[in-house]
Amino acid sequence: MQAFLDDLAMMAPAVLFNLYFAAASIPVGFVLAIFLALGKASSNTLINRLSRGYIYAFRGSPLFIQFFMFYSLALSLNMTVWRPLGISGFVLHPLFMGPLVLVLNTAAYTAEIFYGALRAVPRGAIEAARAYGMSPSQQFRRVIWPNLIRLAWPAYTNEVVFLFHATAIVYLALPVVGGQKDLMITAKDLFERDFNAFLHFPVAALYFLAVSLVVFFIFGLIYQRLMRHLPQPGRVRFMPRWMR
Amino acid sequence: MKKIMLAAAAVVALGGSAMAQETVRIATEGAYAPWNFLDDSGAPAGFEIDLGNAICEQASLSCEWIINDWDSIIPNLLAGNYDLIMAGMSITDERLVTIDFTQNYFPPDPSRYVILAGTELDFANLSGARVGVQGGTIQASYAETNLGPNNTIITFATADQAMADLAAGNLDTILADGAYLEPVVTASGGGIEFAGEDVLIGNGVGAGVRKDDGDLKATVDAAITALKRDGTVDTLIAKWFEGHGPYFAD
Amino acid sequence: MFDEIAFWFAYLTNGKHLTWYASFQFTIIAALLGGALAVVFGLTGATLKTSRFLPLRLIGTTYSAIVRGVPDVLFFLFFPLAFEQAVEWVVATQVCTVESIAAQSSAWPPCREANWFLGTTEYLLLASVSLGLVYGAFATNVIHGAMRAVPHGQLEAARAYGMSARQVLWRVHIRQMWVYALPGLSNVWMLIIKATSLLSLLQIADIVLWADRLGAPNFLPAVGLVHDDWRWRYYLVLFVFYILVTWLSEKAFEAIMRRAGRGILSEARG
Repeated sequence: MQAFLDDLAMMAPAVLFNLYFAAASIPVGFVLAIFLALGKASSNTLINRLSRGYIYAFRGSPLFIQFFMFYSLALSLNMTVWRPLGISGFVLHPLFMGPLVLVLNTAAYTAEIFYGALRAVPRGAIEAARAYGMSPSQQFRRVIWPNLIRLAWPAYTNEVVFLFHATAIVYLALPVVGGQKDLMITAKDLFERDFNAFLHFPVAALYFLAVSLVVFFIFGLIYQRLMRHLPQPGRVRFMPRWMR
Repeated sequence: MKKIMLAAAAVVALGGSAMAQETVRIATEGAYAPWNFLDDSGAPAGFEIDLGNAICEQASLSCEWIINDWDSIIPNLLAGNYDLIMAGMSITDERLVTIDFTQNYFPPDPSRYVILAGTELDFANLSGARVGVQGGTIQASYAETNLGPNNTIITFATADQAMADLAAGNLDTILADGAYLEPVVTASGGGIEFAGEDVLIGNGVGAGVRKDDGDLKATVDAAITALKRDGTVDTLIAKWFEGHGPYFAD
Repeated sequence: MFDEIAFWFAYLTNGKHLTWYASFQFTIIAALLGGALAVVFGLTGATLKTSRFLPLRLIGTTYSAIVRGVPDVLFFLFFPLAFEQAVEWVVATQVCTVESIAAQSSAWPPCREANWFLGTTEYLLLASVSLGLVYGAFATNVIHGAMRAVPHGQLEAARAYGMSARQVLWRVHIRQMWVYALPGLSNVWMLIIKATSLLSLLQIADIVLWADRLGAPNFLPAVGLVHDDWRWRYYLVLFVFYILVTWLSEKAFEAIMRRAGRGILSEARG
């Protein structure tokens, strides 16, 4: 029991790194995903192809490989690009590279969710907006987006939870700076000290589980608020359809 | 317990006496040239591979090489996945708490700093520098204690990865074994150079064994003594480390 | 020009590279075996979830909820280690003596005789079971949903023919279920493919490990070709490889779905 509490205390600072990675990448990924989804729905051939290709590539390859690839790619550009700009230490820091790759990755998954929702927005609503004489940007802000986000929210909730889970592999792929260790590395280090697999990994899992539940709770509240105009608001279910 | 084993771990079954002994499994990292590395054919090679094979021949053991990631090389020895570590591992008091070592087969060797040519660093009072080390090495614990508070210590899984970051300018300096760095500095043609003062840590490089494996330790110790006496160790050191040795000639 | 081609050909076919190419087998074996096991665990989980016996239903629900609630990579590292230790513990109760336990200097295993040596084959099997367990939890949900999507009339018709409950389940329910489960299972398969990139964490010298070793800069002519950091090129190859596998899998699943959907109303295929 004491060992369990010790582990809980030791991993408390570690979970902050996972939370940071998720919190730093979710908002940026969200915005990027909107543009990518619109790009995939665009009638401009070039934009359409690029968005489609991007989404396909990042959903079709493992995040683990993406981490390795972008770190070594950024490293090889260091002398010619980052150093002259004076941002070398910043760009190659895991606290920057981690969220960067997570953003690139989650943007693709989220864009696919948004794209699906975009196609499900009732045509009649858009036609009515056009009939009112709304400009395309007005149509998007007032009609398409409110519909889209309601349709996409349950799937997006799952994406956020799985993005949080994906933070577990950041430090398995990137160098560790100073004592900055996330849950996985902490659990692994503790395990290699006393081989107690049945203690350290489950404690790390508990942290992941707890944060996942909190995310579900918060996102569920937001969903209820989004759906407050409906007599019986739906509920977010833990039913992921896309993951990395 | 991250461990990487090669599917085709080279089995060095040496003839001589047909001792009914089990195979001795020797772990090495395979990413620490010229100590141990994987050659173009994908097989382990280097100073310690040559020496390990010589030890096995001397002691009439049948040996098998296993490639294991550095960061879990001691845990996996303790867990019994192999019997011996020959991976450029320095004998230190810290490690002697958990495992035993044979006598050293490479004398105490200063750790040294390298920098990119054209950069400067005030080693007398080092602060604000990005120092690269390989995780779990004597240099890593030295850097953490002595440089940690004022500098950023960046830990890499292999020495080669740290070297890649130094070459790309992401590190100000690397602290590593002199005998690992010397060939790199020589081969870099002036691109990478030594700097600062040498750091004396460690009691030489020996083979790691489990504490309860006294028999194997005695066997390997005897073989190393014999190989030191007949000059094999010095020959191998001269072959792999230019300008080193002879250390064990009478 | 010709010299250059010959040089690169020799470089790309040296033993180290050949080992790299050979290591793709681990990725493929793990994906296929893991996929098959995921379906088995998925069927088991879904059957448990629909069971009329509450404890079984609870096991099924807990399994699919817990495994999906934690990161795949965590479960992935945990399961083989936990399995190894469990086996060693059982063996230890049989073979360890008081003396051998006292002689053991490390925290695990309890005594040296109980140590279970795991080679690449064992780890690959454990890795596949890990994959199967993790993604079986996802397959459980897919199959559970698909079983509920089978029209009731089909099952009633089967019962009317006098089939026993077991016969209804195996001859009608599960066979009809595949059509509804295929789109979801195709998603699970894509996940498994991507998860095979984690094999190097499960103690296997896989394509990712070799890409790192081959791409790492080399300064010493004695070691091989002297080059600087080429890692991103090797990872780019893997990046493209995985995209290709995803694309091929998509095409294969489309073909399977077309076949499986024959004779079934199109609305069932959604």
